[in-house]
Amino acid sequence: MVQKKDFQRVERFIWELPQSARQDMRVPARLFADAELLDDAFRDRTVEQLVNTATLPGIVKAALAMPDFHQGYGFPIGGVAAMDVRSGVISPGGVGYDINCGVRLLATNLEREEIASHLQELMATLNSCCPSGVGGQGRVRVSERELGELVTQGARWALKRGLAREEDLAHTEEGGCLSGADPGSVSARAKERGQPQVGSLGAGNHFLEVDVVDEIYDAEVAETFGLWENQVVVQIHCGSRGYGHQICDDYVRSLQGAVRRYGLELADRELVCAPIDSPEGRAYFGAMACAVNYAFVNRQVLAAGVREAFERVLAGKVSDFDLYQVYDVAHNIAKFEEHQVNGERMRLCVHRKGATRALAAGLPEVPEDYRRAGQPVLVPGSMGTASYVLVGMDKAMKLSFGSTCHGAGRVMSRTKARKTIWGADLRQELEQQGIVIQAGSMKGLAEEAPAAYKDVSRVVEVVHGAGLARKVARMRPMGVIKG
Amino acid sequence: MGEGFAEVEHTADVALRVWGEDLACLFASAARGMAWLITDPDTVPQTVIHTVELAAGDAETLLVTWLGELLYLNEREGVVLTVFDLEEVTPTSLRGKVRGGPAPAIRYHIKAVTFSDLRIQPGACGLETTVVFDV
Repeated sequence: MVQKKDFQRVERFIWELPQSARQDMRVPARLFADAELLDDAFRDRTVEQLVNTATLPGIVKAALAMPDFHQGYGFPIGGVAAMDVRSGVISPGGVGYDINCGVRLLATNLEREEIASHLQELMATLNSCCPSGVGGQGRVRVSERELGELVTQGARWALKRGLAREEDLAHTEEGGCLSGADPGSVSARAKERGQPQVGSLGAGNHFLEVDVVDEIYDAEVAETFGLWENQVVVQIHCGSRGYGHQICDDYVRSLQGAVRRYGLELADRELVCAPIDSPEGRAYFGAMACAVNYAFVNRQVLAAGVREAFERVLAGKVSDFDLYQVYDVAHNIAKFEEHQVNGERMRLCVHRKGATRALAAGLPEVPEDYRRAGQPVLVPGSMGTASYVLVGMDKAMKLSFGSTCHGAGRVMSRTKARKTIWGADLRQELEQQGIVIQAGSMKGLAEEAPAAYKDVSRVVEVVHGAGLARKVARMRPMGVIKG
Repeated sequence: MGEGFAEVEHTADVALRVWGEDLACLFASAARGMAWLITDPDTVPQTVIHTVELAAGDAETLLVTWLGELLYLNEREGVVLTVFDLEEVTPTSLRGKVRGGPAPAIRYHIKAVTFSDLRIQPGACGLETTVVFDV
């Protein structure tokens, strides 16, 4: 069994387990952490799952875990793995069930004080304009034909329906549409589940937050992103709902056969995969891309709900109730990207499971108006704590396939959180801080309590210190809707 | 717990240890455990009934397929299935009836049933395994 002493510190915030640590590893495993976060990796099965990831065919350079790592299934959460498209595999377990779970940040032209007296009404209206909860129906119901158009066109579908603006698309990863989507690779059941849920938050750790920017670290980049101190902003955190869950479920089961057919040996059945260049691998990518686009549209339609709520509550009461989009990033995704590996430019399938793309300045994939700064990275904290806007850096391109952390990362099981934290007490505590909470259940609230997570500021300091992404701004919650 | 399941610690998701004297009992225990994660089964009326017939390549895949089918029916019908009469279970096929109804309150929204740690093995009570649910 791998132990902490087997890891070597290769940089201040990088710890490497050599390939020789376990016979079946194809590359080393690397954890991004400070000394305290490194200890967390040995409190659950993060390291074992990272080592398992390092055994996958075609993986290059190293299996990586961002500092918000924790035990997941298959890959650890916070896991990044890049596979050579010529010899590698694509794994639904390396993306997860909530395909393109991600975050959208909208910004207002309002200061905190301008909405303070309207906050209760605003949160209640947001709650009614942005449906949440288990199996929740969305703002939009689509036919099967419309769903097919939606998942191939992505956010542009919402633009045609008057639910988006051209600049929203420009400020979304991949322009809100991952190419290669193939609705023919999606099961009838996934389509049935997806039709009623477009524009819904769902449950679990998904949320909608009204925040205030309380600290600026990089004034120039913040200005480029349209952010300033004391500004009111909104975060939307959700994914591809039942549509994405069903697609992952379908392929995790169906690719078990591919594993046998291609003679793949896996350390964990949840790492199920197929060669990228195989009918099975292509089918999974085509279906996954549909779910990625579904999630972009889902957050876009929710953004339209946020705009509607702001107008309903604030029109005639404030000078400007409009919201513009800062950016939208995916946290669970597999994408084809080119990266430099050992001096060679390679086309790779980069799996990010609980990790964020963090492209450096100058790259063509970064929106034109942000290109001199770099890609915005959105890192939500746990409920009631700070969230961060970062910007991608050059070193991320060298160290992490242009990736960084995606949040705080859990440290406490849900069982323990339920036993040790009372939802009602937590609600009171947050309300005493002036935070308005709208939550489905008190137990659910307790499980998402800040104490169940790592300190997001610590996680951010690691990626900042490691040179993956630089701090731009910090946000504090004013109101939270928890699915 | 005398129901054939117990919750075990998992950092991010939820997991159950499940057991039963044979495959049919193990599958019923897993389904009861999942229903217990979703809601308090005692509060759920039995207003709907479905016949379920499933096939898969091996027992573990069949277990994931079985629990996934229940999640799908729950979402489609807006119910929680809590009573499971399994007439026949082999390592590759299953047939039975399931009953349930609307639940007044939901504990967990289970997104999916994973293969993580899923190995059906002989144990003190017959057969046992761990099931990790993505929530």
